Amino acid sequence: MLYDSPDTTLLYETKKGRTWQCDLTDKLFLEFDGMVLAFRVQDFFAFRRRVNKVDILEMIFDLSDDRDFEVIEAPLHNFVHRFALCELIQLRDLLNGTKFSLDLHSMLHEVLGSSYVVLD
Amino acid sequence: MKDLVRMRTSLKEEIEIALNAQVKMESEASQKYLAMASWLDQNGFEHTAAYMYKQSDEEREHGLKIFKYINEVGGAAITPTVGEVQQEFGSMREVFEAALQSEIAVTNAINKIVTKCRQAEDYATEDFMMWYVTEQREEEKNARRALELFDLIDANSPTGKFELDKQIAKIGSAE
Repeated sequence: MLYDSPDTTLLYETKKGRTWQCDLTDKLFLEFDGMVLAFRVQDFFAFRRRVNKVDILEMIFDLSDDRDFEVIEAPLHNFVHRFALCELIQLRDLLNGTKFSLDLHSMLHEVLGSSYVVLD
Repeated sequence: MKDLVRMRTSLKEEIEIALNAQVKMESEASQKYLAMASWLDQNGFEHTAAYMYKQSDEEREHGLKIFKYINEVGGAAITPTVGEVQQEFGSMREVFEAALQSEIAVTNAINKIVTKCRQAEDYATEDFMMWYVTEQREEEKNARRALELFDLIDANSPTGKFELDKQIAKIGSAE
């Protein structure tokens, strides 16, 4: 699924990846460092929660080798990957930017959408 | 472009986070009451122990009700993890003082959720939470009544503890 095909809208883009929405499948696509994943909205939020939960400061200050990486899983997508510290920060940036874009879009729908509001 | 977020859920993220935090708090309250029930049981207060076991079950039900609500409106309910709770108490009175403190904390948390719901214009969740507002009024009243009984019945008299055990267990039931 390409992000510039009809029925898709680019949500957020960074140097390391991009996200887009497909209105045909109602899915969100994440492209990061060569990987492409398709999420349902709720799965995307769960994935974002998982990534945001990683304690970055603890990773920085813990000098043991096993804290140089964090394994992130998305079981519904058969996805598991070892992310280095920098990758995690870049992924977080992309996911949180996407969340902002989705929220902003939702807000605009509410304010400018098809529902009529009668004011005094 | 479709509004996929709204299509999935009517719950705003800040409300979902607050509700999940409340599930955790209710779970903690349930565990605290369970520890209190155990202490009372070990010290011979079998009536108040039964009362506390019931309270523990009720708190779990309260948490579960919110848990199911979050999923019902399209959010993601998160199974709460509960840490260590106080297992030892100095006296029966201390148990009920801790119970009242716990209820006050729960009431404050529920009031804050209602305020958040109003700010987010989430009237469905506000309506749902009003049941908890009423419930907390009752819970606090019961916890205060227990402490009141300590003032009315001398725990150091020959049958004081025995009587307290019987009377506290009657709180909330048709007297």
